[in-house]
Amino acid sequence: MERQHNSVVRTPLNSVVVQRRSKSKSYRQSYRSCLGAASRLGLTPALTARRLNTSRRAPKSHNITDKVDPEQLTLLLKTEWKLSYVTPLYQFRHTQLKSYSRQLSAFIAAEKQQGLAVDAEGSQSSFRVSFSVVQGMTETADDAETVLIQIHSKPMFAKQDDPQKLVWSGWLACINGNPDYLSSLSKDFICLPLFGSSGPEVLTTLVKSWFQQMFDCCFGPLEISHTSLQWLVALWTNCHTESNIQHLRMIWTLPVTPPLQITYTVDAQDAWELWSSVRKDPEEESEGGEEVEEGGSIDLKEVMRFMQGLKNHFYRHFRLDLSAGSLQQVSTALGSAKYSGRIKVSSDGKNCSQSFSQDTFLLTHTRKDKCCTNIFFLSF
Amino acid sequence: MAAKQNLSEPSDSDSSSLTDQSVSGRSGNRSLRVAEKERRKNEAEDPFVLALKYFSDVGAGTPVYGNDEFETNLVLVERVAYSKGLSPEAISVMLEFAMSLRMGTGPCVRVLKCLIPATIVPQEPIVRAVVWLGVGKIPISTQVLFIKWVLTVFDMIDAKDQLRAIYGFIFSFVTEENLCPFICHLLYLLTRKESVRVFRVRKLLELQSKLGRQPFLLHLLSLYKVFCPELVTLSIPSRMKSGFRNYNTPWKSALIAVQKRNGSQLASSTSLPFTIKDKTSSRKRKHCHLELPVLSSLVNKQPQTELSSSRKVVPLVQLNSFAQLLENIHRIELPAQMGSLLGSSLALQYLDCVQDESALLRLNFWLGYALHEEFLFYGDGGAYQNSEEALQFLDKLLFTQHFLQEAFSSSEAFLYKFLSVWDGSLLRPQILGLLSNIPVVPSSQIGRLLFEPLMQLFFTSSLFFKCGLMECLNNMLLKWLTWHSVYALEDDLDISLNSHTSINMTLSGFKDSVMELVHFVGRLASVGLQLEGCHTLLLSFVLDFYETVCDTFLKYGLPLVVMPPPGVFYPALFSLDPVSVDRLAYIMYRYKVNLTSAKSQEKVTEQAFHISRQTFREFNHYLVVMVNCLWNSNMFRPGMGVQLGEEVLLKSNVPQYWTSFDLVHHPAFMSYAVDFHQRCWPGRKDMDLNSIKHSKPWSWYLEYLYSQGYDGLKQCVPAP
Repeated sequence: MERQHNSVVRTPLNSVVVQRRSKSKSYRQSYRSCLGAASRLGLTPALTARRLNTSRRAPKSHNITDKVDPEQLTLLLKTEWKLSYVTPLYQFRHTQLKSYSRQLSAFIAAEKQQGLAVDAEGSQSSFRVSFSVVQGMTETADDAETVLIQIHSKPMFAKQDDPQKLVWSGWLACINGNPDYLSSLSKDFICLPLFGSSGPEVLTTLVKSWFQQMFDCCFGPLEISHTSLQWLVALWTNCHTESNIQHLRMIWTLPVTPPLQITYTVDAQDAWELWSSVRKDPEEESEGGEEVEEGGSIDLKEVMRFMQGLKNHFYRHFRLDLSAGSLQQVSTALGSAKYSGRIKVSSDGKNCSQSFSQDTFLLTHTRKDKCCTNIFFLSF
Repeated sequence: MAAKQNLSEPSDSDSSSLTDQSVSGRSGNRSLRVAEKERRKNEAEDPFVLALKYFSDVGAGTPVYGNDEFETNLVLVERVAYSKGLSPEAISVMLEFAMSLRMGTGPCVRVLKCLIPATIVPQEPIVRAVVWLGVGKIPISTQVLFIKWVLTVFDMIDAKDQLRAIYGFIFSFVTEENLCPFICHLLYLLTRKESVRVFRVRKLLELQSKLGRQPFLLHLLSLYKVFCPELVTLSIPSRMKSGFRNYNTPWKSALIAVQKRNGSQLASSTSLPFTIKDKTSSRKRKHCHLELPVLSSLVNKQPQTELSSSRKVVPLVQLNSFAQLLENIHRIELPAQMGSLLGSSLALQYLDCVQDESALLRLNFWLGYALHEEFLFYGDGGAYQNSEEALQFLDKLLFTQHFLQEAFSSSEAFLYKFLSVWDGSLLRPQILGLLSNIPVVPSSQIGRLLFEPLMQLFFTSSLFFKCGLMECLNNMLLKWLTWHSVYALEDDLDISLNSHTSINMTLSGFKDSVMELVHFVGRLASVGLQLEGCHTLLLSFVLDFYETVCDTFLKYGLPLVVMPPPGVFYPALFSLDPVSVDRLAYIMYRYKVNLTSAKSQEKVTEQAFHISRQTFREFNHYLVVMVNCLWNSNMFRPGMGVQLGEEVLLKSNVPQYWTSFDLVHHPAFMSYAVDFHQRCWPGRKDMDLNSIKHSKPWSWYLEYLYSQGYDGLKQCVPAP
């Protein structure tokens, strides 16, 4: 179809020259770029179904502080983040963060005082917003750098010289994003599909609506699915030898009336032993044909066996089959994750640097998991 | 001044111009000259003209009290003003007189109150009057009155360029507290993008901090925001009334009366095309995914675009009419949120010309998000609880797609997922409507994406769903074929669906997809007709579909002929309803026309599009069956499609079973045969339908039948 059409294809997308394009193709073109390489909300490449990992690399201890500034890292730890997914941001520039800070503070001030205009410099605002880049919070070259947003404000009745306090923080990240998808996206877009927020809901809403108006993107709630939570149970337990997880706590709900919530706590050592027992033999693995590095990958089957073991144990004691219920929350000393899409990564004070790396690894891993969840979530 | 000179001229130069004329126009018509002279004389003596002359000439400081001359003249002007309205010149003179305060402030107010224009208002005297404001002797209340008057007659001012030129001067009056609301309104009417400046924004913000949140400041600022969103940040409360309060009361009724009397329809609409969206949020939903974003101008301006910012751009929000859109179509700035385009019919026009790939992607991201959140993730109940809203949203989407004659990719992607969870009844017309819009699906994927979920839905849903789906698939096919017939002309029958990715569709690929679709519908229809006992309604939708299919070659230029399966052909042939049989005959006739023309074309061009022998064989077979059955009374002969054992047929005890489906005995036509019999042989008591079969009555009968509107039969086998 159409020679002129082809000429458009050869023209780079961000070319300044406006191409006369055959009208008919306009939607379809964007459509395939949307569909061909899997938009989050579109279809995955070969119009395939979900991206559901059946096997993952086990976390290897590496010191994330080499990559990421520890000071910034502490900002991300020990806070419970509410997760959302975000469609690609249009015309977002990591170089413009200063100006974004000003504009967002002005926006918040304007929204707080409905019907009162504020100048776009945001100078009179009682909220101070700062955007910053968390360097190194990426896994692949295609991942966009993580952006941290903090909002400081003075308490209502504070004294003149009281310092402003951090009232809200959030971040946008892309860790281990789908490379096919990322590279297919036009240069006008930055993909930071995972948004975590912590602080008053009002501010979260304001930040989201500012992003929507500014970068024409959309935010949707991101739940951590049952399966993802089970993955976390296994992945965290798997870390026990390197960093004490202290306990493995799961919260289940059972569909009975009145609803029954069960908190199931397992001693770290017991959990680890159970986990080791369900792990495949390395020999058995190599029988499978693939040469896997030591402790290299964890299979979904192993996770399921582990969960079954935990459930069996519970049944033996309480005669309650947890299979009928759903896993709502998982927590260990390393962190916690909830079905509602809240995660937290903690740090262990004693073994600081080691646990930093471990935790952040988990954070990234968890995030990676979220990203996957994200993709999974959006593409089935 | 100019106006004044014009007015005073006749009296000053009356004699001289007369002599001029008599000199230059010696050969001119004498009577004309006399008439002219008469007119001038009358004019000079016209008390109104004299009154105006008085006001233009009266010296400063002339006392008002006890001044009878002034009084009579002013009363005269007032009378004219209230009855006919004042001419542009008169307004000019009176405004100058009033604002210059030549006779003090008392007359000034009185004059302002009677300044009712008959036609237009010239802008020069207004500019002069604004200058008089600056002199500062006029009391504030009078100044307010003047600005109110300007606002009232704003639409009647002949040109606004000079007023815009003194924007800064007018702006300086905002600091005057009492004038401020009115000045803001005037500025609102005069503001252009170039008038929005940082220092003006600062001034207004400063005022706001002094006066509090005043609607007039807010309105002006919100307009500034439209032009320069980077200069002012503002959130408009949903409760705020739109527009400025109506300031035109003193003149309004008089103005309307005068206009009515003059028969002029100078619509004085001081109501503003205000852009604040009236949010009538009756329902409060926590997350409303389906709300269209508000059309607003771009804040996030890129530094590199500043280079091109010398090229003036116009935000879409600023455009109010199609004419404006056309005028600015080369320099329209896309809105901050592309989704907002769907909300405005004007913007939709523009969407058709949007060339920007990223813009369409943005639109698709938003649309995909909204559809997914609402129908697939339903975070807060989704469409199942908000069906009214969902209905409106989908209707809007459908309207847009029909307007653009193209589907959005995100809605297509959404549909593929939604079909597998759809119950077949939620928002059925809308979903089927969207479905019929999807572009050609590659044949390798069409089965999994479309057919599997549709098949499940089809066999588990009601008759009405089945009919709806048939109609939807027919529309889908029609769109595909139309698309093909348009674009096949542009190039050598090679259709590339797309450029970016690997899905290139060749003609054969396209044919495969169409064939898949037709076969799929054939399967659905066969089983569906069986399930529903060959329901006439369903049969009618199925025949609709085949009316499209039989004409693919001639109507749409696609060298593809697919015959209906027996499961469709026979139920139609043996239908109890004559219309269905007739339509089948029409379809067979069209197949015949298509096939013959394909065949002849094949001979002429020797081009290698090939309609398989199998198709011809099928067609011939069907045609033989139909003709034998209906016309030749030759049913159940060996070698035909429907074969029954001789002994079974004998056992049925039907006499002359081979005639039982001819046009006389066919259950659908029996009533016609009876009617014909009665008309043909009115006297006969015993009815013998077989007698129609004799050659003469038979041809009469066919003629009779064809005259009943059964054109399909007629075309298939013309009357002898």
